Amino acid sequence: MNAVAPVIEVDSVVTRFGAQTVHDGVTFSVARGQVAAMIGSSGSGKSVLVREIIGLLRPSAGAVRLLGTDVWTASAGELAALRHRFGMMFQDGALFSSLTVAQNVARPLIEHAAVPPDLLRPLVRLRISLAGLPIDAATKMPSELSGGMRKRAAVARALALEPEVLFLDEPTSGLDPITARAFDTLLRFLCDDLGLTIFVVTHDLDTLLAIVDRVIVLANGKVIAEGPVKEIMQVDDPWVQSYFVSRKNPGRVAGHHGT
Amino acid sequence: MHRLAMNTTEPYCRLVRDGQTATLFLLGTWQLAHLGPIDAALAAEDLPASRVTLDGAALDTLDTAATLALLRRVVAAGAAIGQLANFKQTHAEVIRVVRGRMDERAIEPVRRRRGALAALGVQAFELRDLLAGHLDFLGRSACELANVALRPHTLRRRALTAQFEQVCLNAIPVVVLVTFLIGVVLAYLLGLQTEQYGANIFVVDGVAIGTCRELSPIMVAVIVAGRSGAAFTAQIGTMLLTEEIDAIRTLGLSPMRVLVVPRLLALAVALPLLVFVGDVAGIAGAMTVAGPMLDIMPSTFLTRLHSALPLRHVAVGLGKAAVFAVFIAVIGCRMGMSVSRDARSIGISTTSTVVQSIVVVILLDAFFAIFFEELNV
Repeated sequence: MNAVAPVIEVDSVVTRFGAQTVHDGVTFSVARGQVAAMIGSSGSGKSVLVREIIGLLRPSAGAVRLLGTDVWTASAGELAALRHRFGMMFQDGALFSSLTVAQNVARPLIEHAAVPPDLLRPLVRLRISLAGLPIDAATKMPSELSGGMRKRAAVARALALEPEVLFLDEPTSGLDPITARAFDTLLRFLCDDLGLTIFVVTHDLDTLLAIVDRVIVLANGKVIAEGPVKEIMQVDDPWVQSYFVSRKNPGRVAGHHGT
Repeated sequence: MHRLAMNTTEPYCRLVRDGQTATLFLLGTWQLAHLGPIDAALAAEDLPASRVTLDGAALDTLDTAATLALLRRVVAAGAAIGQLANFKQTHAEVIRVVRGRMDERAIEPVRRRRGALAALGVQAFELRDLLAGHLDFLGRSACELANVALRPHTLRRRALTAQFEQVCLNAIPVVVLVTFLIGVVLAYLLGLQTEQYGANIFVVDGVAIGTCRELSPIMVAVIVAGRSGAAFTAQIGTMLLTEEIDAIRTLGLSPMRVLVVPRLLALAVALPLLVFVGDVAGIAGAMTVAGPMLDIMPSTFLTRLHSALPLRHVAVGLGKAAVFAVFIAVIGCRMGMSVSRDARSIGISTTSTVVQSIVVVILLDAFFAIFFEELNV
């Protein structure tokens, strides 16, 4: 575990679906212990890129290294070992609907970690608590939870195996601003206090301004800018400018999106 | 990677007592992967029921799971954590976080246990609700059908054709295969019996009437219940889950008209047609074994068929099929409309559709057998 090597390295990734080119040479890297955010207009292939990084979807060309392992040339065994070292929160939680929250969190622990039986329940409780869920949510079924709680439950499950990296797909979409800010606080806490590297796909400007160390802007199939939020706000690109316009001129409403 | 992971003799901690003070030295990699050995090592140490200083100088990694094991052992021994000595900032932070979130409250689910009698009662009420729901749905479907009959232009022709292709045309191969083989088996079995009396030719009567009146309608209805009934439930259930049904309502359309009517009509037309295909395939199956086994040549077979199979037997089979179709479609659509909002309930409802449809088809068939017997049809 070299502290200097980047945790996520995406190297000239190309993605094509039929005749449509989604990514045309995407390259960036994320260092350990950062909260990195990827922004870009709807349909720019952010979620697709995350799926390529975590080994769910093979890119048409290019390489992805996660925690030093090349995801798409790794053997099945290496990939299985890698899967214990990162967690993923899907957009609507993707909790197993036939299991309670506690069982959802316990599932990866039972499958992959030799947890002593009397430590399993306390460990599940700790995960649920780390994700900021009240403990009485543990016995509920996913269908009984609100959207925000489902997302937290998904984070609890993603944290089960002590991942080094946590991926989140639009963690604050569909949440009210108060819940969304609480979620931001949770991510910052996971990064600062537990040392996780966090990679988040988001549209939420408040998330960017509040907790993100580094922003990666995806547009036209390429990374058009990356850096701290303050630098990104100065980037001379029509899409980036209209993205930030509501914060620069609070009086105006961002009415149109560039392409 | 961690060759020593399972080796419990690897030292993870060492307790040093010095007069009144006790210090627990933590060593090595305290990670989830080593949780078993770590917990065993902690259990082996005789922790004093007083303040314990923790020393983390020789600690490589410390994660929350291992910290939890540590804190639980300390609490269980009646000890308390005193100072944290020589800890890296990050490790001390992890201990602080986990200490703040230790929660020993139980999360045991509340289990409701019922006696056998109570369970029977609950099931009886559930069955009553299910049947009442079906009846209600049947009534609403009938109203919607009457509506469409009065205003034919509201019929969704495209949906109807699409459903018809799906439930009828695409089902033909499997229907032909199954009924052909049933015809073969039936002719073979009857042939073995009639041969003993030299009454080979009566195989034609038996196969023709048996296939057209009973076997083909039942077999085809069971196939369609498994194919189309289950598909209706799964399709409509998934649409409910993805809020498509709500969208249909919001747009001022009726889910009954958009989804149920085309399926019901398509199936009510398709099933009799499939049964007819099944009749032909079954008789063809019988004909193929009748020649080599019973010396009944195709020409003889067809001549006999002409006199042995009055049209009413075929008509009874086709009429029954139309009734089966209505029930299969109503059960399939209604079960789809009543799924609760998770993936598991779609599975349960789909299974339930198939079981209910097959039971209903056989109940109806028994009813028809008595009904037609009384009418001498």
